[in-house]
Amino acid sequence: MPAAFAIRTLVVDDQLTMRSLVRASLQQIGMRDIEEAPDGEAALRSLLAQPVHLVISDFNMPNLDGLSLLRAIRAHPPLSKTAFIMLTGRADRELVQRAVQFGVNNYLVKPFTTAQLKEKLEAVFGPLT
Amino acid sequence: MIGAAAQEPVERRVHVGQGDHFVSSDPDVVLTTVLGSCVALCLRDPAAGVGGMNHFLLPEGSGSGTDVGRRYGAYLMEVLINDVLKAGGRRERLEAKLFGGGRMFDSLSDVGAANADFAEKFLADEGIPVVSRSLRGAGGRRIHYWPVSGRARQRVVTDGAILPPAIPSSPVATGDLELF
Repeated sequence: MPAAFAIRTLVVDDQLTMRSLVRASLQQIGMRDIEEAPDGEAALRSLLAQPVHLVISDFNMPNLDGLSLLRAIRAHPPLSKTAFIMLTGRADRELVQRAVQFGVNNYLVKPFTTAQLKEKLEAVFGPLT
Repeated sequence: MIGAAAQEPVERRVHVGQGDHFVSSDPDVVLTTVLGSCVALCLRDPAAGVGGMNHFLLPEGSGSGTDVGRRYGAYLMEVLINDVLKAGGRRERLEAKLFGGGRMFDSLSDVGAANADFAEKFLADEGIPVVSRSLRGAGGRRIHYWPVSGRARQRVVTDGAILPPAIPSSPVATGDLELF
């Protein structure tokens, strides 16, 4: 049973408000080691410098979008095992299916609650303490 | 007079109802809405010639200070921003106009002000400049917004034409896909 505080996470979203909401939820769940990036390109740079256990990423972002970020992570052996949860809008069914093809671990539809985020985390990591 | 007068361009009106948003790069489009305690964010990229409007109300009792209100509000802002960006806008060039958030009923909580507070804080946090605003106060507003030129026109509504807003009942996501 993994301890929530031991999971290092990178939150990727071009909106500061969304990043701070995700961060607040993760902190409520007990996670402590949280980095942020404003787009896929910055996320990739950050991951190459310091890998994480989990990436939580939006899709619609400038520079490198969420799907391209996912593909880049899966194609790069040192990072390829990183857990990836994507954030999506309600209408993005096709996008979710493409993300599944590219190896996404789970997804979360905005707007979401802390309980829903925890559920997705536990689906990926198992019950958290 | 010789010949016919130059033809006026045909204006295409699009009404933006509560919970909706609309984005256009057509200079003949004018977005219209009527606001009570709801707030409309008018957003555009002047260089790309694209803009849009949303019309939102945070769930009752979940104003800018609460978690549920912020989550729902942030989502509604994001769908408009994303559509403007998809239509060719650039985030760093966006400019906003804000309308609404009036105090419509004598109630203990000022729903309109909570919506206005949320919108102002969101845009400040995101670094999107607000080039003009008409927020709070008593009464309703009828708004026309030309998303390409950025021109906006407001009329104060005093004729009781504003219906009480429909309170969103389920602010969180529904309709999960069965993939996991």
